[in-house]
Amino acid sequence: MFIVQAEHVKYDLLDYAANRLSIQEHDRVEEHLQNCLTCQNHYRELLSTENILKESHEHPPSPVYFTTILPRVRERLEQRRRPVRAYAEALTKVLLPLSVSAFLVLLVLRVPIDFSSESNQTDALQRVMKDLSADEMVQAVEGEYAGSSFTTYQDLSIAGVEEHLQGDRFLKAAVSKQIENEEIAEMDLEGMISDLSSDQVDQVLSKISERNAL
Amino acid sequence: MTGSSDLELVELFQKGNETCFNELVRRYQEKIYWVARRFVNDHDQADDIVQEVFIKVYSALKDFRAESGVYTWLYRITVNVALNALRKQRIRDFVRIDEFFDTAGDEHEQPDSIVEKDEQQKLIEEAIAKLPEKQKAVFILRYYEELSYEEISAILKTSIGGLKANYFHAAKKIGEYVHRAS
Ligand SMILES: [Zn+2]
Repeated sequence: MFIVQAEHVKYDLLDYAANRLSIQEHDRVEEHLQNCLTCQNHYRELLSTENILKESHEHPPSPVYFTTILPRVRERLEQRRRPVRAYAEALTKVLLPLSVSAFLVLLVLRVPIDFSSESNQTDALQRVMKDLSADEMVQAVEGEYAGSSFTTYQDLSIAGVEEHLQGDRFLKAAVSKQIENEEIAEMDLEGMISDLSSDQVDQVLSKISERNAL
Repeated sequence: MTGSSDLELVELFQKGNETCFNELVRRYQEKIYWVARRFVNDHDQADDIVQEVFIKVYSALKDFRAESGVYTWLYRITVNVALNALRKQRIRDFVRIDEFFDTAGDEHEQPDSIVEKDEQQKLIEEAIAKLPEKQKAVFILRYYEELSYEEISAILKTSIGGLKANYFHAAKKIGEYVHRAS
């Protein structure tokens, strides 16, 4: 009669199958396997998985690709370093993502929005923004403004903007104004989503899951 | 410079030798690329992640403290950027921008142009894509990067016991998915 060791080894079985354990660990797993049916079954399964994993090959990118990374990173770093001269430009750059963040949150909060009845996305955006309460607006932009990924704007002189953002009335007016601005007509939502900070992403996703749970 | 340790490079950078960053990029670009690629299964998206990681690294280097290894730190940034990319993808899928806006948003749905994948490999990638975030991260770092549990624990800030369980469940799910499909 075998005495089965109390502690199963299932968590080490893929490493065992892939031959990645130290000698001591290997022996411990081997010994346990001799006496434990449960772990034997896991092992058979994981061994077959390991064989499939081992045989599959990913195709690498062209070796030239790796020589392009550094120059492109350098170029982007250089772009970020260029100072923005005009205060107005700084304001635009801060407010544009702010309004988009608000829009995204709205989009999530109020889906479905009937875009088909809107002549274009600017109209749709203006309409949802008009319905936005000051509180919602503040909530929508808070994460944005604190978002760490917006370091691009941290170098700008935005102290003045920050001061104004304290009052939510001003905020709403400023963002609404921004939407009337021509730039928003060229809004590229795809690009905007790409620019979201990780905090915003989490915020939007949690809204989505809240909705889906309803 | 190529003979310097990672930590020496970082310290030189912090003292003003800005070009040390280049050496860090050269040293880690392939590793970071492959971690990213395994998260997103797509060359172009992986490339975006690599760029973003190095931009973040550059900005954060001046504040780097040696409490964790340089490479643990790089992996952590990569995992975070990759997970964030996947989450953004979920937002895109949710708002279904393509239906509303005439953008290049459907690019991500096109098959990876650079890579011809065999069937088996495709199944494995699908199986990994279906894993929950934590299991996915553990599986990529352990199976493909062959990192120790101690290293992964430092990167993901999770107990080793938890990581082992994640790894086991990830492998089981991948096996079940691939076997069911083939
Ligand atoms: Zn057992």
